[in-house]
Amino acid sequence: MSDERAAGSMRRVAVSGVGAVSGLGWGTGPLWEGLRSGRTAIRPFCRFDGSLHRTHLAAEVPMGSPPEPAERRLTMADRFAVFAAREAMGQAGLEVPFDSQAADLETGVWFGSSTGGMFESERFFHRFVSDRRRSRLGDLAAQQVNGPGDAVARDLGVGGPVQTVSSACSSGALALGAALDAVRSGSVDVAVAGGSDSLCQLTYAGFNALRSVDEGPCLPFRAGRAGMSFGEGAAVLVLEPLERALARGVTPLAELVGAGSACDAHHMTAPDPSGAGAAAALTAALADAGLPADAVDFVNAHGTGTPLNDAAEWQALRLVFGERARTIPIVLTKAILGHLLGSAGAIEAVVTVLCLRHGELHPAPGEVPGAAQTGDHDALPAFLVLDRPHSLPAARTAVSTSLAFGGSNAALVFSRWSNGLAGGLKSGSS
Amino acid sequence: MSEVIAVPNRIKRLIVESLHLEGIQPEMIEDEAPLFGEGLGLDSVDALELVVALEKEFGIKIKSQELGREVFSSVSSLSQFIAGRT
Repeated sequence: MSDERAAGSMRRVAVSGVGAVSGLGWGTGPLWEGLRSGRTAIRPFCRFDGSLHRTHLAAEVPMGSPPEPAERRLTMADRFAVFAAREAMGQAGLEVPFDSQAADLETGVWFGSSTGGMFESERFFHRFVSDRRRSRLGDLAAQQVNGPGDAVARDLGVGGPVQTVSSACSSGALALGAALDAVRSGSVDVAVAGGSDSLCQLTYAGFNALRSVDEGPCLPFRAGRAGMSFGEGAAVLVLEPLERALARGVTPLAELVGAGSACDAHHMTAPDPSGAGAAAALTAALADAGLPADAVDFVNAHGTGTPLNDAAEWQALRLVFGERARTIPIVLTKAILGHLLGSAGAIEAVVTVLCLRHGELHPAPGEVPGAAQTGDHDALPAFLVLDRPHSLPAARTAVSTSLAFGGSNAALVFSRWSNGLAGGLKSGSS
Repeated sequence: MSEVIAVPNRIKRLIVESLHLEGIQPEMIEDEAPLFGEGLGLDSVDALELVVALEKEFGIKIKSQELGREVFSSVSSLSQFIAGRT
């Protein structure tokens, strides 16, 4: 245990690397380039036969482009996770011990997933029924929701705490919150935190049965929004004490300055329309960061595109930001990547970091650049970033929200890193 | 005699087909090479699948874990076990 840990002071936490796999491709390069284009990755997909479902689109990860991790037992979600973790560790300048002799006890993994190896389990049952000789027990054995996080730990040789959070669509954000606590408290030196989920029939059919899926690409916060769109992929953030990153000569991409969560305690799938639970999560995250609501320069909204989510989320933003909610730029990542479910909070965290880093907010597809659609009754009167990137070089602080089934709400607060001036340090928090 | 010689090849084909080993041809598996850990590098899930496939193909029963460990050490030990039973 280092002296710093023994002192028990709250450590500032740097994001020293990010990695991602999404419908835009393998890596954060294609992710950022694709997001900036404002063109959606939601389109017809081929992972499984979706012809019997009510809707037929998803932002599917393109296969076979860069080399994918190829361990035999890895599920699709595992492969996404391992790729994203390697990318993030590489960017952080941390050695990836592919052939490590001893596990690294100072590093932990916190991962979110909603369905883990469900796609492979479905393949097992399909073959078991249609052509038993082709069914593979390995597919069934891969169903655990902890698969992606465990695969990352194996691949990186992580010997510290390895934990999976599965709390539907806030899993990724909650995992990041847990990782933040672990780095702050000094229980680990490095946290590999994120989430991974792959397309599968369970969620595809489930959300369709709930009539929560838009037949076209989703239109979060927009007039005519009729539901969410599916996505898949993984995202990983490497978190470590700010001082440690600086001592290693690494330039932090951002600081993770706060996390908060709160439950609606309202309904199995529907959000509390008052937005009170989501607002409580946002308020808790800002309090954790030691920042007032006024400090927030933009919001990466959960913004699924379902009429119920977006209306409740808008109420939450109104509760937290008051009249200013109408003028804070809102980034709608799901309009391009679809909904990554248990990985959504993680990839939207990566996107938020990239937006802060580049001083630019990525657009969602749309005709109206930046303007509120106040004339339309259905549209929420918010400042949506649409059509083209929105330059915001002075942005210092951003929040990302994740609002899940069961009313599980989470929010993360990130601050831009600029030569020690990043905000959000809780005063007198030692 | 020709029956006995054929058994190893049938086992090899079964291993590759039932475990869906991509990039491996039956003839690439050596008779004496270990199947698990080193050698072919199969794991415990493979073992389970292989037991089921061999039981079906050859009508054998592996009654104890100790016996299983011995019998499943290589293609050669498997074929001897099967030859002794048929």
